[in-house]
Amino acid sequence: MARAKAEQPQAATGTTLIVLVGLGVAFLLFMAFLNVMKSGNLVNEENLLYAALIFYAGAGALYLGFGVTGTDSYLKFASLATWIGLIANTGAVAHRWYEAGHPPFASVYEMLLSFVWTLAVLTLVAEKKYGVKVIGTVTMPVAIVGVVLMQLLRSDVHPLVPALQSTWLHVHVTLAMLAYAACALSFALAMMFLIQDKMETETFLAVTSLCSVVIYAGILTRFEKWGGLNLIAWNAEEKSEVFLSKGVRLFVTVPDLGWVMVLALLVVVTPLVFYGLARLKKDDRFLATANRAVFVSILIQVMALVMFLLRARDGRYGSLDAAGTFQTSLAASPFLLSGLVGGIFISLLYLLLLWRRPDLERLLPSTDDLDRITYKTIGIAFPLLTLMIAAGAYWANQTWGSYWSWDPKETWAAITWLIYAAYLHMRVTRGMRGRVAAYFAIGGFVVVMFTFFGVTYLLSGLHAYA
Amino acid sequence: MALKLRSLARKTWQTAASIKTGVVLLILVVILSAAGTIVLQRPVTESEEMQRAYSPQTLSILDGIGLTDVFHAWWFVVLMVLVSVSIIAASIERFPNSWRFYSRPYKYPDETFRRALYPQWQLAIPDEETGLVAAERALHSVGFSPERVVRTDHFSIFAERNRLSEMAVYIVHASLLLIFAGGIVDGLYGWRGTLNLNEGETSNQVELRDGAIKTLPFAIRCDTAGQENYKDGSPKKWWSKLAVVASGQDVQKKEIVVNDPLVYQGIRFYQSSFGSSGKLKSLVLVAAERTGAGAQRQVSLGMNETASLDADTTIRIAALIPDYFVKDGQVFRRSNQMANPAVRLELESKASGSTLNVWLPLTQEVDPALAAVSEEDKTPYQFAIAGGEMGHFTGLQVSHEPGQWAVWGGVILLGIGLAFVFYIVHMRFWAVPVLDAKTGKYSLWIGGTANRNRDAFGQQFNDLVRAVEEELKSIQSVHKSAPQELVATGAGR
Repeated sequence: MARAKAEQPQAATGTTLIVLVGLGVAFLLFMAFLNVMKSGNLVNEENLLYAALIFYAGAGALYLGFGVTGTDSYLKFASLATWIGLIANTGAVAHRWYEAGHPPFASVYEMLLSFVWTLAVLTLVAEKKYGVKVIGTVTMPVAIVGVVLMQLLRSDVHPLVPALQSTWLHVHVTLAMLAYAACALSFALAMMFLIQDKMETETFLAVTSLCSVVIYAGILTRFEKWGGLNLIAWNAEEKSEVFLSKGVRLFVTVPDLGWVMVLALLVVVTPLVFYGLARLKKDDRFLATANRAVFVSILIQVMALVMFLLRARDGRYGSLDAAGTFQTSLAASPFLLSGLVGGIFISLLYLLLLWRRPDLERLLPSTDDLDRITYKTIGIAFPLLTLMIAAGAYWANQTWGSYWSWDPKETWAAITWLIYAAYLHMRVTRGMRGRVAAYFAIGGFVVVMFTFFGVTYLLSGLHAYA
Repeated sequence: MALKLRSLARKTWQTAASIKTGVVLLILVVILSAAGTIVLQRPVTESEEMQRAYSPQTLSILDGIGLTDVFHAWWFVVLMVLVSVSIIAASIERFPNSWRFYSRPYKYPDETFRRALYPQWQLAIPDEETGLVAAERALHSVGFSPERVVRTDHFSIFAERNRLSEMAVYIVHASLLLIFAGGIVDGLYGWRGTLNLNEGETSNQVELRDGAIKTLPFAIRCDTAGQENYKDGSPKKWWSKLAVVASGQDVQKKEIVVNDPLVYQGIRFYQSSFGSSGKLKSLVLVAAERTGAGAQRQVSLGMNETASLDADTTIRIAALIPDYFVKDGQVFRRSNQMANPAVRLELESKASGSTLNVWLPLTQEVDPALAAVSEEDKTPYQFAIAGGEMGHFTGLQVSHEPGQWAVWGGVILLGIGLAFVFYIVHMRFWAVPVLDAKTGKYSLWIGGTANRNRDAFGQQFNDLVRAVEEELKSIQSVHKSAPQELVATGAGR
């Protein structure tokens, strides 16, 4: 612990970080410029999104730097970067809207585009209006993951299928995006609360390690004999998964990738083991080892991600279910990818907590304020969720013949609603405050994300478009 | 014994009304409905797929406990009833208190209340009346209508706004019950089914989801149906022109599209699918004379319609095979899909009384096997297909949901209730002139509460106190110059 503290970039006060981030952004912009030169088209959606990604990433780094060092100038530059990213993002939204002839709500790609935009707007609102300055450390990585995911999803402009040609589409989806972004904000605020609430670093270590372990255990359900990892095959021409028969996907086995994931699992388990030992033996030296293990695990996780990116992007692999070799693609495994990126992000978040300066508290509103703002945000999200479901029901009544069909998306939207309803009841009548409320808000957002992505990819139903 | 029973009843009631029970029930609903989205559900899954996905033992267990149809299982219905009971009990348990609070507003704060209230403030005033008038004016200036409360020995001021906000929770709960009630009515008396109509066809037989047939008291006729495509070939719009036929008469006509159904007597008809009916609507034929220097005639025919090609010959479309194949000199039907269609034309000659069969493929390809069957060579004509139109069918979803109006009413009420719960604040202000027994001087005690958003209210309270201060100053300055006027205005209010 003490050593980890000593390793923190105390010396890097002043402009070092800004210069580094600036250099990084400049480099990426230069690469983007080369790319633009090649395609000869300056303002297209891809470039705009790329610009948004660059600035969101810069903003995320600066917010993180601000959180760790507390240098005010970082925050200024972080806000600026968010603003520029938002402008580029707005351009991408406008471009898309113009190209498609309808607001960008009709596919997962378009919804993500709107979601990231709303999230950036709310980040700036939370920062300027409520003074939650460090919130970008949580929301910006979420936005980055969103933009990266968008690169992998089908982005071709589709005309609206008959069922989507309704005013209610816009009402329903606008409400959904607003509600989900408000939920994301409440999640970020709850995280800030946990930081401000002097949550023990060790507890956080246990939680983050457990998350990583769950992620890699989940990935390893795809483990195939002798070190392979099963991935869904991808048809590059049709940009779709390969199906053996209706509803049955074809898997290809990527050799050796399974071993990499096993290694990663072993490494992310170590901090948890040392944490357990520290608890059992009541010896803090084990904790120092656990922290070092987190560093190692980040390195190994990055390695696993890189290996995954390299192997899944190119090459043809054999399958157990069919003869011949097949291609796969990152787009075929959005969950594995977001799991891997999410794992690294969670570990980095732990580092932020480990390196936090005592005066981080000064940078954040008080716990009471954070608790109240979280509640307020949910007070905004909940009626929006209600209206979103109601608008969806009315629309379904016009299209599918029934206002409620127990379709998986509907059911999960109702589950989300119930969880936030339970939060409000516990809070108003039981006086639930503080940490329990924060956990509740975090759990609620996890369910929201599952409703948004999980249901689309894992459970089939009427909501096939998104 | 009776006492025990009563206490048991009370305990049961308290358990039903407790928030803990409510939250536990909500968690159960969450877990079970999540299970209902993960386990394949019978009503929306083909039974072969179910058998493929689960082993026979697993499937029989899942079926046995109803997990393959969670949302229609008896225990899910029981759970929903329990949730309703819990909402009702919790509301009844808490309602009397809220109602007392609502119907008899607390207008005069007693000393204990005054001591505990936050925020509060005291201002020095020359006498009771000046203080009361200043408070009234200040409250008026911020948009309240203050009320002078008269007690036996003194006056005070009370003002409030949005008292309804206190009852908003009950509005929300009532609206949820209304939605549930609508859902239950639909579950008991509603039905859903499908009705497929070819163009020109009339039917009143709806196939329900369980395969039963429901006969409607009126019939539906589909006049035409069609599809429009985008440039890339994906469907843009499906439409059908429908007519409601009751006792032989057209009583209603409407062109329906995907988001716009036809409603008749509470029964709604939705456009849900569209396709080729496997029947020919019309065919345009070009008949070229083999001998007469290639003179061409074009005829347009419907199914079974007859036209004359010349004085002697008439032509009729006798059959359409949607997916033909030729074997042993005969034409057979392979399937009903429009995969490989062909038509059989009958050419009748009046003079000879003979009938010739001409087979033509509707696809562009030449098929020697079919040509061998065809007697085209024996006719004086050579036929080619110049165009035509296939018949369509429209797939209609039919549903009857008598409870939906309760649902929409509930939804609107829910919206209003939630708006009140979250955004409409019940604010109360009191102003009481207090005499300090020691000094013999008057001061004005001002207090206020809000039922939510307290930090914003603190600001409003401070603004009010400042406004009262201002009013006091202005009254006192007037007081110095013309004391009589003040009494007049004060009494005038």
